Amino acid sequence: MRGLIGMNSSLKQIIINLCLIILAYTVQTCVFPLMPFLSVYPNLMLILIFSFGFIRGSNSGIWYGLVAGILMDLSSGGPLGFHTLFFIWMGYINGICTKYYYEDYITLPLVLSALNELAYNFYLYVFSFLIRGRTGFGYYLMNIIIPETVFTVVTTLVVYRLFLFISRKLEEMEKRRDTTIV
Amino acid sequence: MKNTRYFLIGLSILCICLIGITSLKGSLLNPLRNAVGYVLVPVQSGVNAVGGSIYKEVSSMKKLKSALAENEQLKARVDELTEENTRLRAEQLELERLRDLYELDTQYMQYNKVGARIIAKESGSWFSVFRIDKGADDGIRENMNVIAGGGLVGIVTDVGANYATVRSIIDDSSQVSAMAQQSCDTCIVSGDLKLFNEGRLRLGYMEKDDDIKDGDMIVTSNISGKFLPGILIGYATGITVDYSDNLTKSGYVIPVAQFDRLQEVLVITDLKDAGPDWNE
Repeated sequence: MRGLIGMNSSLKQIIINLCLIILAYTVQTCVFPLMPFLSVYPNLMLILIFSFGFIRGSNSGIWYGLVAGILMDLSSGGPLGFHTLFFIWMGYINGICTKYYYEDYITLPLVLSALNELAYNFYLYVFSFLIRGRTGFGYYLMNIIIPETVFTVVTTLVVYRLFLFISRKLEEMEKRRDTTIV
Repeated sequence: MKNTRYFLIGLSILCICLIGITSLKGSLLNPLRNAVGYVLVPVQSGVNAVGGSIYKEVSSMKKLKSALAENEQLKARVDELTEENTRLRAEQLELERLRDLYELDTQYMQYNKVGARIIAKESGSWFSVFRIDKGADDGIRENMNVIAGGGLVGIVTDVGANYATVRSIIDDSSQVSAMAQQSCDTCIVSGDLKLFNEGRLRLGYMEKDDDIKDGDMIVTSNISGKFLPGILIGYATGITVDYSDNLTKSGYVIPVAQFDRLQEVLVITDLKDAGPDWNE
C-alpha cells in the first residue's frame, strides 16, 4: 500500500520513476541493437518491473507494469494492452514475493528473473506465433528463449543491485518527507 | 491488499477490452502513439547518434589494420574492374538502344526516395520491426516500401508525425507477392523466424510448371496490392516440387538487403495505386 501512496503523493518520485522506465526502454531499443556481438539481448524492461515489484510490493509492481507496458504497446505497433496485460500481472505476482525479500539476498531475484523471462517469452510465443500456426516450440525454445533468459539472468545480477540502491534512495526521500510533515 | 486486487482485475479487464478494440481498429491509437513519439523519438535519435559515433570510432581503429591489407587486394581488383567496366559500358549503350526500341523507357526503379535512419528496434528477438526517424511530416505514409542495399527491406506499417514503424520482410508475419524476373511467374515470399536465422526467406505458392529455378532473381510482382513492381527481393534457391501434392513447388529466397547491419534505409515515396481496396 505504501508504494501507491508514495508514488501518488510525490511528484518528484513519479518523475524519477518515469525517467527510469524511459531510460531502460531507450537502452533496450537503441543501445543493445547497436552492439553487433549481441545476437540476443537481455530484457531490461522486464528486469526493471519485476525488481521494483519485488522490492517495493504489489502496488508499485502494478504501476511499473502499467507504465512500461503502455510504453511498449504504443511503440510496437501491435494492439494496445498486449504487453500491459502481462506486465501488470508480472508486477503483481512478483510483489507477492516481497514477503521473502531481504536486502542483500540475490538468489531469489535471479530465480524470479529466469521465471519471469520464461513466462514472458512463452506468452509472446503462444499469442503471436502459435496462434498463427507456427508450431515447433523446441526450436524457438533453444534459439530464442533460452539464450535470452540466460542473458537476462546475467544482467539481473548486475542491474538488480543498482535498482536496489535507487529504491533505497527513493525510500529515504519518502521517510524524510514524512518526518518533515509530522 | 484487497484494493490492489480489485485494481489489478479492473486493469486486466480494461487491457483485454483494449486488445480487442485496437486489434480490430488500430488507427484509434494514432493520436496516442504520436504523443509518445514526440517524447521518445528525440531521446532515441540522440542516444542513437552518440552510440553510433562511439561504435564507429572503436570499429574504425580495428578496421585500419585490415584495411591496409585489403588495400593491396583492392588495387588489383580495380584493374580487373576497369576492364570489365569498359566492356559493360558498351553493353549498356546497346541496352539503352534496345530499350528505346521496346519503349521500356518507363522501367521501374525510377521511384522517388527519401533516406531515413533506423533509430530503434523492437525489443527482443521475436519480431523484426524497427523505427525510422522520418514520419508524416517528411511525407512518409503508411504502406510505403522501404529498400536498402538494392533490395526490398520492408513496408511502413504505422506513421507518427516524426517517426514511422517498418515491418521488415524477414518478420515472421510478413508476406510479399513476388515473381521471378525472367518468367514473370508469381509466387509469395514470406518471412520465417526459423529460416531467417539461416539467412533465408520462404518462397511458396508456385505451380509445378512455373519457370522458377535456383539463382533466379525474385522481384516484387506487379499484382501486389502494396508493393511497387520490380523491386529486387533476392535470389531463389533450393526449389523443389512439393512431395505432398506434386502440383506445387516451394523453395527459399536469399535476400539481397543485409538485415543484420541495417542503419540507413531508403523509403520509396511513391505509393502503389492498386485501385479500390482489394484483398490479395
